[in-house]
Amino acid sequence: MNNEQAKFILRAYRPGGRDAGDAAFCEALQQAQTDPVLGTWLAREQAFDTAVAAKLQAIFPPAGLREAILTGARMSTSARTRPAWRPATWMALAASLAVILTLAATYWFRGPGAAPAGLDQLAGFALADPLSAHIGPHADQLGELGAWLQNPVNRISSGAPVDLAQLKAQNCRGVSIAGHEVFEICFNRSGHWYHLYIARRSDFDAGTGQPRFREQGLQSVVAWADQRLAYVLMGAGKAETLRGIL
Amino acid sequence: MGSDTFTQLVDANYASLYRFALSLTRNQADACDLAQQTFFIWATKGQTLRDLSKAKSWLFTTLYREFLRGRRRGARATALDDLPPAEADPPAPAVDIIAAMDAQVVMSALQEVDEVFRVPLTLFYLEELSYQEIAEALDIPAGTVMSRLSRGKVQLRAILDRREKSARDNIVAFPSQQHRRTP
Repeated sequence: MNNEQAKFILRAYRPGGRDAGDAAFCEALQQAQTDPVLGTWLAREQAFDTAVAAKLQAIFPPAGLREAILTGARMSTSARTRPAWRPATWMALAASLAVILTLAATYWFRGPGAAPAGLDQLAGFALADPLSAHIGPHADQLGELGAWLQNPVNRISSGAPVDLAQLKAQNCRGVSIAGHEVFEICFNRSGHWYHLYIARRSDFDAGTGQPRFREQGLQSVVAWADQRLAYVLMGAGKAETLRGIL
Repeated sequence: MGSDTFTQLVDANYASLYRFALSLTRNQADACDLAQQTFFIWATKGQTLRDLSKAKSWLFTTLYREFLRGRRRGARATALDDLPPAEADPPAPAVDIIAAMDAQVVMSALQEVDEVFRVPLTLFYLEELSYQEIAEALDIPAGTVMSRLSRGKVQLRAILDRREKSARDNIVAFPSQQHRRTP
């Protein structure tokens, strides 16, 4: 390696020794230690790079950008506030549509007289339903039930004031799983977003109704049922996160 | 991803992303929009990233892609073929002169570098990504990153040198009191 080749490589060597462990620089660095001309050049190059880098670090974002980012991200998870043209919305809608079409096709071939669907099927739908997609009214707009869900003192699995007819009247998002009506409510509790899916117990085979957890990727679901209704709760993180509010 | 983790991610990266965006857009408002849009995409899609240690690379890559997507085709970067061959070790202002320059002047000089070199050069000076990570973010070979860094530095040195000389030439003696006119 001649000095010009070494310079070519060392121009990509970040000042401050951050790349010291990168084998790609070893030979050129060793050469700079033994060749005084190259060593002087490297010292000058590093001083120049350090000076420029320091100037970039002295450029500060305008006041309010951080808050705008944090607020914008929070708003991005709300259908009410996100503009419809945002690509993420369309991707989420497309993903949901794909899941719905798949399930609808399954229903088509099985026919309307099929037995109640398994609650696992609804749990699978929930996991495929993007957490960032919030279609339809948010919990804030769903009156007593919405407020109840967002109140951190309430345990989700006990005593939720659910009225399916009222949810329908409030234009709550409804999906059809194997021909059965399911309502989905998006709510925020202590800064974390969740989707709660609610259906009639008679439409889904929930076994004993005891909570069953499932993790997939960065999301988890828990499915359970009481005498009247079947539920699936989905959120980001491990199952323990869901257990904490169940 | 919880809101605390998201806040930490924003705190750790938003300033560097803004600086990168500023060098790309050359405009504060557009840079803010671009940084905000990048985190918006993270909030809606970034949860699918399994390895959070790659979040920083993901953010820089996404910001650059968003910049490319939003830019009109007519404003494409100068083609490499149109550029003169790189000079070897061109003149550059002394380090103490750069140190004395205003940060905005250095940023402005960086913004003047041809985009094809400016993008890797800014990422290099932000010191957040290695040359290999820059290559991944820009989807170009590592050798190309080295080449563009070399040529980008040549341009930056020349621009800084020119600005320093220009600033020196513009210094005029302050008129003494007796030569001032009074209205």
